[in-house]
Amino acid sequence: MEEFRTKVKRRIILASGLTLVAVALGIYAVFSLQNVPDDATMSAGFISGFQFGLIMSIGILSMVTVVKLRRALNDEIKLKVLYNKEHDERLKTIRSKAGQPLLSITSVLMIIAAIIAGYFNIVVFYTLVAAVLAQLAISAGVKLVCMTKM
Amino acid sequence: MKTRIKELRKERKLSQEELALEVGTTRQTITSIEVGKYTASLVLAYKIAHYFGLTIEEVFDFSDANEF
Repeated sequence: MEEFRTKVKRRIILASGLTLVAVALGIYAVFSLQNVPDDATMSAGFISGFQFGLIMSIGILSMVTVVKLRRALNDEIKLKVLYNKEHDERLKTIRSKAGQPLLSITSVLMIIAAIIAGYFNIVVFYTLVAAVLAQLAISAGVKLVCMTKM
Repeated sequence: MKTRIKELRKERKLSQEELALEVGTTRQTITSIEVGKYTASLVLAYKIAHYFGLTIEEVFDFSDANEF
């Protein structure tokens, strides 16, 4: 359990760092939005909005993670529940059936690719975002089905 | 697979949450094992049986496993 405690502490540091980066990027985005030229296209606005939304989501999720992990760290039972949840064999099976470990990595990579592609071709951006949403929806659906069956 | 987990829990006035915490799993997994939706691994079956001070065969019903 001590090893897991160290792991949780490391995660808190990582999530705190991520929150700070997201806040910094969010502030920068707010100020840069004010400098949008009058002739800016709707697509350019959509990409900026998407990026801002993504940054805010990462920030909020990281903040929630920090609070959750801090609470677990101060409570032995909550820490054990968290440990059990992460190492639960049934959940591991469900996750692997839904293809989650690999799907999470590919989704993040595709989102990064979509943002970069958005600067060059808006169609590629929309396609990649749609593909990510579709694969996440399918994975969530498979996970739900597995959870009701297992 | 049929098990005696629910019965043993009731005898000891133990909740699913408490049992899950003791054997290193989640409440949902205990529920699934109790209703026969999920078959526990050998390690988890051993942990559950060991917690109740019984053997695996005394907790889990393996009669279905003999059917081919």
